[in-house]
Amino acid sequence: MTAIPQGSAVWYNKGVDLLTVSVTARESAGEPYTLVQIAGEADVTNTDDLRRLLDDEVSQQPRTMIIDLSGLRFMDSSALHALLRANRSLDRQGGVLALVSPQPAVAKILRLTTADRLIPVFASVADAAAG
Amino acid sequence: MRRPAHIATRAPIRLAVPSAGVSLLRMAWDAKTSAASAAHQAPGGASSAGPGGDPLRPASPGDMSYGYTTDLAAVRAVVYRYAKQAGLPEHRAVDLVLAVSEVAANTVRHAKSPGSLKIWYDTQEIVCQIQDEGTIHDPLAGRRKPSMDAMGGHGLWIVHQVCDDVEMHSDETGTTVRLHMKLPRLRSGS
Repeated sequence: MTAIPQGSAVWYNKGVDLLTVSVTARESAGEPYTLVQIAGEADVTNTDDLRRLLDDEVSQQPRTMIIDLSGLRFMDSSALHALLRANRSLDRQGGVLALVSPQPAVAKILRLTTADRLIPVFASVADAAAG
Repeated sequence: MRRPAHIATRAPIRLAVPSAGVSLLRMAWDAKTSAASAAHQAPGGASSAGPGGDPLRPASPGDMSYGYTTDLAAVRAVVYRYAKQAGLPEHRAVDLVLAVSEVAANTVRHAKSPGSLKIWYDTQEIVCQIQDEGTIHDPLAGRRKPSMDAMGGHGLWIVHQVCDDVEMHSDETGTTVRLHMKLPRLRSGS
């Protein structure tokens, strides 16, 4: 197992065209979780990068992964598939994925596709970490 | 150490003139298809060229044509701007942006050449027309809801969900998709 640093430590940032993703290891009540913050616009032109990044994080076998969508202005169906793929992989290995504070355009696609019934959506990272 | 947010570089905007007079096979089956657009479609799919050389639509002043390759963010920005200008409410403008982006994403995925976007509106509706040289083989594309955790096929389904009307025409020469959104009625006296 990779030792997860205490508190908040940014592992890396990755600029993917219009998309910025940062990954942080955090802890809530002694339980570690991976926080992925996605900002910008996620569409078919940067989905491959997003999928690879999420695959990498999922392969670390976190028990909980929280994706903060508050900085994401737009998400299309291909980016949604990257989230659904991460959710399925995590689920298979006994982990949990949660989404946090989608903006209206992102909330709309989550609702339309009923992805928000498959992946829990929380108002804040603290809420999601508390489960 | 957190690095500053990445600043995107976008492909330069390119204007494209869609090929005129292309004969397109009508594949719209929706009862919702507006009578207005049907009126511009001759029987059997072969249509007479309307004003401006475009067989599928009436001329409208002030419309715009925009060519794109992979700069979908720019496409979304243009659609949003026109949607607001036409008077579409915010949440419907967001829907139209999503729909156009999904159709244009198909160009990025499947077509081997750039796509073109045309937007026009009157007092009744705003229309976004996306054309590319790709071909949609499934006449029911986007008409069935994909399973909840399906890994594909949501794009066109979303388009059908959010738009007031969707027309699709596809053959070996290319695909034309027209997305219609009704505009709210103007208040009397305004």
